[in-house]
Amino acid sequence: MVQSESIVSAYAPPFKIISKYFIAAMASFVILNFLLLINYSSISGHHFQPIILSINHIATLGWITMIIFGAMFQLVPVVLETKLFSEKLAEIQFWIYLPGVIGLVYCFWYFETGLYMNLSAILLNLAMFIFAFNIIMTFTKVKKWNITGLYLAAAIFYLIVTAIAGLLLTINLGSPYIKIDHLQYLNLHSHVAFIGWVSMVVMGVSFKLIPMFTLSHGYALTYSKWAFWLINIGLLGINTIFHYEDTTFLYYILTPMITLGILLSLVQVYIILKNRIRNKLDTGLKFSSYAFLMLGLTTVLGTFIAFINYQNILNLTLIYGYMIIFGYLSMLVVGQMYKIIPFLVWYHKYSSKVGLEPVPMLKDMFNEKFAYIEFYLMLTAVFGSLYSLTFRSEIGLLISFSLMLISSIIFLFNMITIFRK
Amino acid sequence: MTSFNIITKDMKISKMLAEFPQTFDVLIKASPHFKKLENKILRKALAGRVTVAQAASIAGVDLYSVLFELNKSINNLIEPKQNLSEKMNNDNLVKQKPEMLNNISVDKIHQLDVRPVIESGKDPFQDIMAAVKELKSDGILLIINSFEPIPLYSVLGKQGFEHWTEIENNMFRIYFYKDEKIKQDVNSSKQKLSSKEVEYKNVIELDVRELLPPEPMIKILETLSQVDENTVLLVHHHREPMMLYPKLEERGYEAVSNKIEENYFKVVITKKRNM
Repeated sequence: MVQSESIVSAYAPPFKIISKYFIAAMASFVILNFLLLINYSSISGHHFQPIILSINHIATLGWITMIIFGAMFQLVPVVLETKLFSEKLAEIQFWIYLPGVIGLVYCFWYFETGLYMNLSAILLNLAMFIFAFNIIMTFTKVKKWNITGLYLAAAIFYLIVTAIAGLLLTINLGSPYIKIDHLQYLNLHSHVAFIGWVSMVVMGVSFKLIPMFTLSHGYALTYSKWAFWLINIGLLGINTIFHYEDTTFLYYILTPMITLGILLSLVQVYIILKNRIRNKLDTGLKFSSYAFLMLGLTTVLGTFIAFINYQNILNLTLIYGYMIIFGYLSMLVVGQMYKIIPFLVWYHKYSSKVGLEPVPMLKDMFNEKFAYIEFYLMLTAVFGSLYSLTFRSEIGLLISFSLMLISSIIFLFNMITIFRK
Repeated sequence: MTSFNIITKDMKISKMLAEFPQTFDVLIKASPHFKKLENKILRKALAGRVTVAQAASIAGVDLYSVLFELNKSINNLIEPKQNLSEKMNNDNLVKQKPEMLNNISVDKIHQLDVRPVIESGKDPFQDIMAAVKELKSDGILLIINSFEPIPLYSVLGKQGFEHWTEIENNMFRIYFYKDEKIKQDVNSSKQKLSSKEVEYKNVIELDVRELLPPEPMIKILETLSQVDENTVLLVHHHREPMMLYPKLEERGYEAVSNKIEENYFKVVITKKRNM
């Protein structure tokens, strides 16, 4: 019998592995907020401080990248209509990655440069290479490419660039060898991470998930394509000219390209949202919408920083980093998790029983009211922290960080409730 | 009346493909547009309502040339296989007008000009068959047409008719007559063809395009209890339901999705058969 290629037999996302990543990530989020709170008085001044570096890496590696790994194992097969290359590798990766994160965070905290920090960075690199290999092998089976696939492919490339740059930086801390300024290199490492790796994933996935969640269609994806090329050319360009002297002129061209690219991708998100059938935005989508707004603001601030001598303005990089990690990424991840996790758990536990016995509806999976409260707590915490960092109010930071911790605990509680359903 | 070995422009594509699998190659040759029909289940549900004429206009190919090719393809199979030299001999033989046609009285000839019927967009098949019915045993049917109705040769051939065709300025004059000497039982060959295909009698349609996940999945899985071996569940979906496939598999169903346009997929779900 002739069979269509679109039949995927016995395809199922590896729930056990994915939930491991998700739970580790959510725990990191709470830990990171707890550490921020107990060190609230140290969160000021220059960003190159052990505690800030340490907390920052709990956020980027333990929280955000961890959750992206889990989400990608889940989403890549759905978005690109193929099976994940290896579930076993995904499992192995987790057990290499986790000690890597803990090791690096520990070494930053006590600023133990040298062997242990290098080892942690090597573990992280290994885990990321395994991830990249697993996803690239999955890509080779893809028959129908779409814009999301393109974004994800680029993201994998930048993940590896970030990982290698990170490893070089850790080695450099122990035994300096980089001729270029360490901080400048760090700057590149973080921008490739946030724009290349994280935002590429965020954008690519958003162009697929938001229409799915809002039943939006009938729009063109033109802006997403422009955004893709602008961001990529800009980012690759800056990575290249960085190694040469007298490239100020190119820098002034490439930086606005990235800015324009990110803004265009936001225009695309706006267009998708505008074309939605369901008018009401639920809590998950509310989180996401504010996150995108925050990304816009952060991009403008980032561009501003790129053109001025920012080191003279106290706390500016901290504000910038806080906006990225909390205002943009954490809001977005929390919002998306409220959409993805209930569905994932429901699918795993109940979809086989539909029509055979009564099953809970998606909205019965968690208490939306708690999520709603969490949303406002988080929003208040974000703006409170930004205000307090700008005007250097320690008491403001104390209150804001407390609110953020509470909201992260509500989040964890809600997610555990769903997992236990 | 069951099906005849003729393909008319009003015949459903799905029926045609089920009865004459070889016509599929003809379709693909006519237009790659028809590639989609490769899948049998899709064929039934998606091509179930499309006639040959509609399909030809969708694919942008000339209806009559496709019809001609289609009928030619099924004819080759139904006529006893001949090798080329035999065929040449046959052709030479037939070049001579059969004697009985030369000395036949005009009143025995029933003339039927089907050109006006075809021009009006209808199919003359029923008219022809009606005329055949009324024909006396020694009568001759003369059909006048603008093209050679090759399928008719085999249809009437089965009923014991011989044919003789004259061409005159793009006008075909085809004489059908009975020759007592030749009797064929062609019926047996037909039966073998259609026994394997099972016709789907019921179609349940479900539109889930306005539903948020996982409601489409819930709706579909809940409807499965109504889908038996003879039923097709046709789902109108806004995307390809990748997560649904394994759940269908679990319950012994299979699905095929066909992308109609951006955000519109037709998903055809059927119960698996034990082959």
